[in-house]
Amino acid sequence: MDWLYRYDFDTLTLIAVWCLAGVLVTTVVLFFYAIGLRTATLIRNRRRGAFIRRWREVFAMAVINHDAAAALPLPVVHRHDETDLLEEWNRVRSLVDGKAIDNLIVLARRTAIRKIAVRKLHHGRLSSRILAVHTLGHLRDEGFRDEFLELVDHPHTVLSITAAEALIEIDPALAGSTIVPMLARRRDWPRDRVSVLLRRAGSERISEPVYRAIRSATDADKAYLLQFTRLVEPEVLDALVSDLLRENNDPAVLNAALKLVNGFSGVPRIAALLRHDVWFVRMQAAKVLGRVGQQEHLSLLLELVSDPEWWVRYRAAQSIASLPFLGPNRLRQIRAEQADPYASDILGQAYAEVGIA
Amino acid sequence: MTVQDFVQAGQWVFLAYFVGINVGYLLQNVIAAHGIRRYLQTADQSEAESVFSALDIPISIVVPAYNESVSIISSVKAMLQLEYPQFELVVVNDGSTDDTLERLIDGFGLQTFPEAYRARVPCKPVVSVYRSTLVPNLRVVDKVNGGSKADASNAGINACRYPLVCVVDADSIMQPDSLRRIVRPFLEDATTVAVGGTVRISNGCVVRRGFLEKVGLPTNFLALVQVVEYLRAFLFGRMSWSSMNGLLIISGAFGLFHKETLIEVGGYNPEAVGEDMELVLRLHRKMKEKRKPYRIAFVPDPVCWTDAPENLRDLRGQRIRWQHGLGQAFALNRSLMTNPRGGAVTWIAIPFYVIFELFGPILEVAGYVFILLCALMGWLAWPEAMIFFALAVGLGMLLSTSAIMLEEMSFHMYPRFGQLLALYGVAIIENIGYRQLTSFWRLRGLFRWLLGRKHAWQTITRSKNLAGGTTSVIMPAPAKPPAPGSSSAESGEAPRQDES
Repeated sequence: MDWLYRYDFDTLTLIAVWCLAGVLVTTVVLFFYAIGLRTATLIRNRRRGAFIRRWREVFAMAVINHDAAAALPLPVVHRHDETDLLEEWNRVRSLVDGKAIDNLIVLARRTAIRKIAVRKLHHGRLSSRILAVHTLGHLRDEGFRDEFLELVDHPHTVLSITAAEALIEIDPALAGSTIVPMLARRRDWPRDRVSVLLRRAGSERISEPVYRAIRSATDADKAYLLQFTRLVEPEVLDALVSDLLRENNDPAVLNAALKLVNGFSGVPRIAALLRHDVWFVRMQAAKVLGRVGQQEHLSLLLELVSDPEWWVRYRAAQSIASLPFLGPNRLRQIRAEQADPYASDILGQAYAEVGIA
Repeated sequence: MTVQDFVQAGQWVFLAYFVGINVGYLLQNVIAAHGIRRYLQTADQSEAESVFSALDIPISIVVPAYNESVSIISSVKAMLQLEYPQFELVVVNDGSTDDTLERLIDGFGLQTFPEAYRARVPCKPVVSVYRSTLVPNLRVVDKVNGGSKADASNAGINACRYPLVCVVDADSIMQPDSLRRIVRPFLEDATTVAVGGTVRISNGCVVRRGFLEKVGLPTNFLALVQVVEYLRAFLFGRMSWSSMNGLLIISGAFGLFHKETLIEVGGYNPEAVGEDMELVLRLHRKMKEKRKPYRIAFVPDPVCWTDAPENLRDLRGQRIRWQHGLGQAFALNRSLMTNPRGGAVTWIAIPFYVIFELFGPILEVAGYVFILLCALMGWLAWPEAMIFFALAVGLGMLLSTSAIMLEEMSFHMYPRFGQLLALYGVAIIENIGYRQLTSFWRLRGLFRWLLGRKHAWQTITRSKNLAGGTTSVIMPAPAKPPAPGSSSAESGEAPRQDES
């Protein structure tokens, strides 16, 4: 039991006293820090409110009047107001369109906005750099094209996607040549922001690059990229979907492609897809026929209302209920003819959803 | 071993525990501060361009309700107004003995609907499914009482149509943008299977028509202490575990799950006392067993507000239940504790929880008894004892203070100076009396689990802002044999190929 006594408690008590002192000091410091933070926030919010109100008036006049943008007297900008100025200018810039954007850029050139953004880009913290990229993109500053082309490869998600957005602002043609080929390897980019970015670039610029990127991608990448194809031109989309359904066998790709079928110029291999081994392919194929199905597909759909997978039965039943050439009586008759209780149940639910008792 | 040896050994054990738990919490604090800072930086930027798009994943919200007649209409109305492009609400009436169902029928023009309901996760039989004639995205599942929130949640999950399922309490007050915030991890990382958010205390807040109108602090002391407790638990506890993918609990009041994964692991366990924690542990266990990459994430944004007990009786019941549930959840998922590929969950989070959260109360209460005994026997060195006691109180204050500071740095939901001072005041007072009392209750909960006692559900008294001070039963005693880990034959072969 000697080991129990190896250390004397006097030393430990001394350590405890020092720890206690440290803990109390830290607690008091944190307390006053929080109070200071609160006070600073209150003061900053008050000052910021007044600053933004003044600039909002200036921005509002500049948006509607080019001459005002070029000649308005501008409020003073202190160093501590710079971030607020950039944020507010970007906010207004995001809200307007057309000529108003040019006016805001004219106004920005008169202020120190560009200078502030450049300084923040090269010397700021990460959040400041992101704000700077965003601002310079909104300014459509051609001089930063190369720098932003490097930043789109930056490992930080927000910085790189913001650089991509800035590039699109500077030169929308870069979407096709630079951004689209990167999409498969930048899966960290939030999909909503990617879709907004592609929409801004315009379908005419991205349709062909998206088509090429998908055609040359691996199956795993194809399924991922297909979610952005809603933004491409309809004829390109139809051709792409048709090719994929004809040539591809990967369930995930088929699933994604089937979701994109929007017209009926013939769905390749529809019968095979309706009998596919993987349930979600059967389900999507059944769903497609709800939109584009014809008389000859009814028997195929009727097979699926007895499918072992609930979702397949459900989508097949919904498709049957939505076929335009079947009236309520024929639908009731179809249900009555079902020997399988699962088929009858699911048809009952699908009919009820469209108001057929 | 002499008495002196015993006393000396006791001192070392308590000291080791004391150092371990406080170092652990302080480390969590540092990790959480870093995590929140990083989160806020990216959140600000993504909100600058935040738009609803076709890429937002549709969400089914499941609302289990048992005898919620008083508040169900306002709760459902508030949930229907959530800011999210596509969601449905599935209210589950778990065999209420009051007029919950009748109120829903009248309030939303419900009509029975021949839904081809499929029981993919086990639950008591469904009596009927209703569809609203007024609100297209509302359905009500009326089922036989299953004796637990888990059973009702499972019935709701079975009726869900969308790829993500959000399970909430019927009396949860949700932030209008809560779904938009909590869905973010699913958009950012395709391997995300579950996300929890910060739950705050609604006592003292002004709630109107199911929405939080004004944030306030409760005047009731017990509720006020719980405000600080929740800040600690969520802002630095869960935030830090989440950053190492070691989050072990997603509050039952608000959690978002990938539906197919939820079904694959068998849904909620109706027999679990702490069904929310048991589910998260099972998710970890099953995903690791299948060697699937996955992420269980946490967003620090306050997404949901819940009512805290305001009297000792309710609080005692809650803490005993939580501790009982904690022990049971670990026991049901014990294979996770020895999984060599368990990562941070097995080797960091679970040992910490087992030593300090599960068995901690034994040492804490034993420590109090030990000191008392030593004092009575005249063995206590009073000056030294007072120093260690002051250190314990000081560390408790430090942890609460840093949680309050994290809140101040991030969301500052309590805007008035007086509120800030009240929180600090509580951070000091809670260390004397409240902390010891909860340790004792937790010990009782631990023994309840160790002795294999059934958990008896009790009635709770609601705070005035929710239901005018009414009393409601939270759940009657579980009546169904356990179905842990059962998985459905129909569970998806490719969980990510969802309907949308």
